[in-house]
Parts: sequence; structure tokens; C-alpha cells
Amino acid sequence: MHQSLPSLLFPEYRRRVLGLLLLRPDEALHGREIARRTGLPAGTITRELTKLAEVGLLKRTKRGNQQVYSADTTGPIFTELASILRKTSGLADVLVQALAPAAPKLRLAFVFGSVARGQETGGSDVDVMLIGDLGFREAVELLHPCQATLGREVNPKLFSASEFTDKAATEPFLIDVLAKPKIFLIGNAHDLEELVGA
Amino acid sequence: MPMTLKNLLGLSLDAVAPDKAHIGKLLAAAGRNIADAKLQGLSTENRFDAAYKAIMQLAMVALNANGYRTMTSKPGHHQTAIQTLPTSVGLAPAKVMVLDALRKQRNLSDYSGDLVPDAAAAECLASASELLTHVRAWLAANRPDLL
Repeated sequence: MHQSLPSLLFPEYRRRVLGLLLLRPDEALHGREIARRTGLPAGTITRELTKLAEVGLLKRTKRGNQQVYSADTTGPIFTELASILRKTSGLADVLVQALAPAAPKLRLAFVFGSVARGQETGGSDVDVMLIGDLGFREAVELLHPCQATLGREVNPKLFSASEFTDKAATEPFLIDVLAKPKIFLIGNAHDLEELVGA
Repeated sequence: MPMTLKNLLGLSLDAVAPDKAHIGKLLAAAGRNIADAKLQGLSTENRFDAAYKAIMQLAMVALNANGYRTMTSKPGHHQTAIQTLPTSVGLAPAKVMVLDALRKQRNLSDYSGDLVPDAAAAECLASASELLTHVRAWLAANRPDLL
């Protein structure tokens, strides 16, 4: 059984909390907000946040009568750790932010291929499926800066919604993509089913 | 400017004498491929391939006019041909970025059987047509003797 690099390095909860806060060093969030955004139970998260604050990875400050947590950017390994998270579990985050300007034009966006399957090697590219009314040139311009951040080549595969719907059931390439794991960036599995079934 | 290409001599480029007849043949072939890339009866894949071929032929024109050609014995000669375009004919880096993305799309369709989306074929044709205009203008301005 292949274990993905980020899950081997960090326990799941820690990875999600650090991924959220270290990649948004400007945000200070309350425990409940962190639980909501990471999809983790609020009770467990308090213990995790306390531990991370004790070792100096997170900063705990008071905002009104609330405790809020943020990345401690003055910590000795903040830069390195943020970089590791960005290249591993933060990958989706980096792509979502890059695609944000084109989000209104996109029905769906997801990572497929070896990165989505957690089977990437050092030289693996990031395959990104984009479905919507975007130009190829625009997609390349948006995603190109991610290559330096992620340390990997990013390959967009851009289809219009009607083209994707028409070919989803018959094209072996799309059948393969649909059957394998994906990391959703815009939209979700339900939206994809709707599009394919439409 | 020629220093950069010179630095690639023996690594990914060979020196050749610029050749008007050779350039004439490549420009004509690129023109035919661009015309074929517009044929709606062809599959998306073949329209993409025709336009991509034109891009390669135009990059070869750009190198030849500067006295170089890619070493086909070395891997990555398509990449070399595309990435030397800013030096050979002053193409904007933003355009090279798109051409390089098209090169990767081609690799994935040729060797992994990836489907070529309409948007990729449309961009390949647009990029090839722009490059033909750009290379012709560069020759007219810098090496009219080769046209």
C-alpha cells in the first residue's frame, strides 16, 4: 500500500491545521472556524492547537474574549515548513488561489493523475482538468506561476462543458480520468456526476 | 544576443550556414500545415498536430536564420527549439510559455493517448499563425536576404 508523502510526514489533523494556517499567515482564526474550514471535530482540534502553540508553530492571541490562532511566522522553521506544506498537502490550495480569477468561468476544476492518486514521484507533473469557458492561453498564464511554487510542471487539460459531456462516456482518456481519484479545486464529485449525466 | 545560442553549441545546437532555400521550404511547409490545421473535417488531434508541426518548422527557420539548428541526436530538441525563440527572433516570453505548454500537450497525447481538447487545438492554430507572422516580420527586418 502506497502512502502519500504528506500523510507519512504528518498525522492527518496536524497536516490540515498547519496547511490552513501556515499557508495563510495573515489570518488569525478561532478554533471553531479552524474546525469548520478543515472539516475536523472541534473538540479534537483544541488539543491539536494547544500543542502546536506550545512548540511555537502557532501563535495564540486574544481577540476580544476569544482565543485566535495564526502561524507564528517568526518561528525558526516557519519558512521551510510552509514550503513543504505548499508542495504537498497545500498543493490544492496553491492551485485554487491561482485559478480564482477565472473561477466564474469554470464549472469544475480538479487534479487527476499520479498526484491525485498519491503516487507521484519527484518528476511527476500535476495534471489539472479544467471544465468551462476559458481560453487555453488564459489557463496557461494562470497556472504557470504555480510551477515555481510547487516545484512541479502543471499541465492544464481544458474542456468546454458540452465537449466534456459529449465525450465523457466514450473517450477512453476521460473514462479513465473519471474512474480514478481526483482532488477537487472548484466544484465537487456531485457536480461532476451531474455534468457527465447531463 | 548571439552569445546565448552560442553557449548551446555542442550541447543542444549545431552550427549551420543560414540557407535561403531551406528557409523558403520550411516557411511554405509551415503555411501548408497552418492551412490544414483549419480543416474542420479533421479530428481535433490532427488539427492540433498540423499546427504544432508548423510551430516546429518556424522555430527551425528562426534558428537557421541565426546560423543554428537543433541537434536531433539530443533529447528535448523540441524544447530547445521553442525556448530559444526569444533569443533567435525576439519572441515575447509570455508567448513562449504558451508554446511550451502546447509542447507538453503534444507529448501527453502522442505518448499517453490523452485526448486533445478543442481549446488546445484552437490555441495551437492561433499560436502557429502568430508565430508565422512574427518570424516573417523578423526576417524582413533583420535578414531580408533570406526571404
